[in-house]
Amino acid sequence: MIKIEINGQMVKAHEGDMLIDVADDAHIAIPRFCYHKKLSIAANCRMCLVEVEGAPKALPACATPVTDGMKVQTKSVKAVAAQKSVMEFLLINHPLDCPICDQGGECELQDVAMQYGDDVSRFSEAKRVVADKNIGALIHTDMTRCIHCTRCVRFGQEIGGIMELGATGRSEWMEIGTYIEQSVISEMSGNMIDLCPVGALTSKPYRYSARPWELKSHHGISPHDSIGSNIIIHAKGNDVKRVVPADKESINEVWLSDRDRFAYEGINSEDRLTAPMIKENGKWRQVDWETALQFSADKLKHYAATPEMMGVLASPTATLEELYLLQKIARGLGVNNLDTRLRQQDFSLDSHGFVKPELKHSFAEVEKLDATLLVGSYLRHELPMLNHRLRKAQLAGKIVSSINTEKFEINYEINNEVVADDLLAELQLVVDALEKPESNNIDKVYKKIASSLSTAGKSSIMLGQISLMDVNFTKILKLTSDIARLSGAVLNVLPISANDVGAYMVNFLPEKGKNIQQMLTTQMKAFVNLSLEAESDITDGKLAIEAMRKAEFVLNFSLFDSEIQREYADVLLPIASFAETAGTFVNAMGTKQSFKMAVEPQGDSKAAWKVFRVLGNMLDLEGFDYTHSNQVFAEVLENNIETKNELVLEKIDIKIDKKKSIKNKTPLISIYEVDSITRRATALKTASKAVSETIIVTAPVQEVG
Amino acid sequence: MLAFLKHQFKTFTLLELLKGMVITGKYFLKKKITVRYPEEKTPISPRFRGHHALRRYEGGEERCIACKLCEAVCPANAITIEFEQRDDGSRRTTQYDIDMFKCIYCGFCEESCPTDAIVETRVFEYEFHERGPSIMTKDKLLDFGDKHESQIAEDRAVDAKYR
Repeated sequence: MIKIEINGQMVKAHEGDMLIDVADDAHIAIPRFCYHKKLSIAANCRMCLVEVEGAPKALPACATPVTDGMKVQTKSVKAVAAQKSVMEFLLINHPLDCPICDQGGECELQDVAMQYGDDVSRFSEAKRVVADKNIGALIHTDMTRCIHCTRCVRFGQEIGGIMELGATGRSEWMEIGTYIEQSVISEMSGNMIDLCPVGALTSKPYRYSARPWELKSHHGISPHDSIGSNIIIHAKGNDVKRVVPADKESINEVWLSDRDRFAYEGINSEDRLTAPMIKENGKWRQVDWETALQFSADKLKHYAATPEMMGVLASPTATLEELYLLQKIARGLGVNNLDTRLRQQDFSLDSHGFVKPELKHSFAEVEKLDATLLVGSYLRHELPMLNHRLRKAQLAGKIVSSINTEKFEINYEINNEVVADDLLAELQLVVDALEKPESNNIDKVYKKIASSLSTAGKSSIMLGQISLMDVNFTKILKLTSDIARLSGAVLNVLPISANDVGAYMVNFLPEKGKNIQQMLTTQMKAFVNLSLEAESDITDGKLAIEAMRKAEFVLNFSLFDSEIQREYADVLLPIASFAETAGTFVNAMGTKQSFKMAVEPQGDSKAAWKVFRVLGNMLDLEGFDYTHSNQVFAEVLENNIETKNELVLEKIDIKIDKKKSIKNKTPLISIYEVDSITRRATALKTASKAVSETIIVTAPVQEVG
Repeated sequence: MLAFLKHQFKTFTLLELLKGMVITGKYFLKKKITVRYPEEKTPISPRFRGHHALRRYEGGEERCIACKLCEAVCPANAITIEFEQRDDGSRRTTQYDIDMFKCIYCGFCEESCPTDAIVETRVFEYEFHERGPSIMTKDKLLDFGDKHESQIAEDRAVDAKYR
């Protein structure tokens, strides 16, 4: 610890810390543009110039390490003169178009110019104009506004992992752009919008839809993956206008994946179901809630006479409260056919218990893992923020290996990469390598994977969505648990959806009943679906639709209206989206995060937990007298039903036939098609098209190589 | 004693009455300044803050770019603006309402406007008898601006050197 003096105030600091960090910790404001706490130091904007005693010239606070006894003035005549001069230079080429700039009102340059700018410009020469670039459906550019802080460039290099934007030319002719005309396709590109201190990079879907001072901020949790990124929902009146990240160092740091940022467009989609509907004699009729619920309750009572013929399916993107109440209703009616594992195809372990989807490390610990093995996971698309953490680990010299069915574009080097159609055979080789490290018959790469896992201090195996969806999931699980046992690594079955862990927690599982596969293949009489689009959310969509069609009664709690739903369902009840309801998501590492309602539900839709409360009472079930979603959450925590059915792999004997298993490749879920909301986000749809187009362009190059 | 005599003198010579009558007489003969409103009107400053108008550029393009500064600055919350992106990519208002009952004619909207789109004109002779028509819509304001454009432009030109 050393002591320095800033503006006469004694501040404690660590030797070698940058002056700007020390000042920030002491709440002493220093203006800056290029400096960002999560990016490397560029010191090219010069806005943070301060006077340091003994130094002949003003020094940039972002690139000046503190030394003991240093005396710094941030408001002295010399410092302010330096800052004002820099400001004048920055404003030379910056257009005066604040009134038509989306950044106006939340602009760092505008704020700093209010303090350090002059009201009259001395610059009478021609201003610089730079052509705007089209860099895709998510980011709008106004390059004339750029002040060359290079935050976006550094973001691409250091965080995004692909250098998509860069600077060409020097001084007056310096321009930021994609070197060759192309879209920015990083799955985290939206962060550049937040990073840009001016209006050069702004959000395209949000463009010209609100002014920042009209927006109300509401804290929320992102429902599109199991990271549980903290978000701020910006709403104008009752419309969600945009989503920006909230600082949460332990979860999403300061970043947000594009999926979490732009998927909000889905909740404003025209497809939204806004009134309860029932089908009578093949015709759809719009009814009021009471009629619809009474109709549903009567039907449910009727079919509850044969509870084994009724199936309850829910999307794991539903909140903890919704899942808890729905299973309470189902179990109250005697129905045990409950499932949220929509993507899974192999359920042969169900009789022994259920796999707990869980990341056993905190996200911060992932950065410190000495060795990681990814099995069947396109982590970058499944959980972009976890991939970012793993990327940091790899860049710090840790070892990341992968065994995948395809060669995926990962934004860092995978140290040991295995690409093969048959995951089982590859995993078996790793097991062999661990059992017989001396054997000569095993390829070097498997030995490397094995030794990296067993020699590392902390090592981890992560099973991704491709493993989870594999028809041989059980066997993959068995082999990976063997690897884990032999190497001392921690085995994680990664939860992918927002509330996979929550569903497990409230026991939304077929404990004594049929799992989803059995439900779809045996003739069920009735289905209850919670925010589920059977055709795309379930791996075998065709089978699911067929089963729903054959069922006598299908009750859908749904966000959206669709032709296909109208075909198979009998009742459609409109429910609220993540921004319109209060609830809780449990993220991959088990953090329970509650959030409040940001905007009113659209049309006549209602928060699902309220609907379940009323439905529970209509069905004469006990314990449905909640007045607040908190009470439901408290009940979940009290009951603590989570550990009852955990699968203990070691006790089960799973046979793995050495013969090559039949290849049955499951299609990959596109990054922007994970749930009903993202599927309706138009900008993301266009962006994902750009991603696939880029892949087509690079294909011939691979052929040549 | 002297004061008593002075008082008696004033009383019996009607001196103060005559003084008053002299003033009355002066004004009786002087040129009159009364304005016979509405037949006659007083001169108005180019900075007069009367009825609002939305202006257009000479080519016919509306000046308002929907920056919402007037709405934000309005101390009476009299202005309501909705906007969207027009097909040519520019941001334009779809709704621009001023509630003339709420307006306090402070002129902040005019002052905040970066394009001189919203202005307060010399017109002050108007009245509303019920609540609906008191809300000036975008169309009404633009029409009003078109009608008075020459006067508005002239007033801005006169005031330009002080701004």
